[in-house]
Amino acid sequence: MSETSPFDHRPDAELGDALRAALSAGDDGQFARRVVAAAETELGTDADPLWRLLGSWARPALVAALLVVAVAGFWLGAVMQRAPGTAGNGVALGDPLSAADTERLDVPVLLAGGESPPSVDAVMAVALEY
Amino acid sequence: MKDAELAALAQAGDREAFGELVRRYAAQARRLARSVLEDPDDADDAAQDGFLAALRHLGRYDPDRPFGPWLLRIVANAASDRRRRRKVRQVQQIPPTMAAGEPAPDAVADRRGFREALLEALGSLPQRQRMAAVLFDVEGYSHREIAEVLDVPEGTVRSDVYHARRTLRERLDAWKDWRESS
Repeated sequence: MSETSPFDHRPDAELGDALRAALSAGDDGQFARRVVAAAETELGTDADPLWRLLGSWARPALVAALLVVAVAGFWLGAVMQRAPGTAGNGVALGDPLSAADTERLDVPVLLAGGESPPSVDAVMAVALEY
Repeated sequence: MKDAELAALAQAGDREAFGELVRRYAAQARRLARSVLEDPDDADDAAQDGFLAALRHLGRYDPDRPFGPWLLRIVANAASDRRRRRKVRQVQQIPPTMAAGEPAPDAVADRRGFREALLEALGSLPQRQRMAAVLFDVEGYSHREIAEVLDVPEGTVRSDVYHARRTLRERLDAWKDWRESS
């Protein structure tokens, strides 16, 4: 063996070479491939946890979203049906000169009944009456 | 590419980067595990366990520090755990009279005999001394780095290396004396 002192702070080259030769198993490349293959197996189950988590959430999230859309559509439809004057195109214009409307507004027949505009006397008579 | 860069890529899922780290440190990891476990297959399994554990815990690696000691500490722990779990074969001491009556070794047998004697001498050491000697004299790590690997004070590493060298020399000198006399 080397004459290096056991107290020497430098590596003992001769002892080191002998130990390296005794401990080296050879074909480190094959060992490395084996470790990488084992890591592939492990990565297949343990790696990319974020993507696996998101993947596990995807289907329930899609179902939940469809449910929300369906409920929201049903609710909106119900609200639209209950709202007054929103039938058809949403604009309801009645005939302002129809008999029903004049009755509802309490317009005297003397003013609204004829085909020609009322005379000044008729208007004055109605004003005095009210 | 530096080890720290490869480690960052490996942590992000780059398997080729992890493969490069394994290729760089495969020999060191196997030798360190072999210094703890006499059986070569056990040693390779322990080294592999160490690499996979390192892969799982790359987030704990400080890129400002050297990667080798961090990895080898994991490998050393994996080998020690495996040694504790398994009932390892007892290391046989080299008997001073082992050569009595045996034929003189030829060159091949001489090399094989030297290797076996060296491994047996190494196996006779306490586990921490073995690792300290291998990391210092074979792998060239500093006392400080070995202290990090073995999780002991630096002075303990110096003492371990000293005692390991002394024991190995005594055993190997005995073997040489036997070889010369046979």
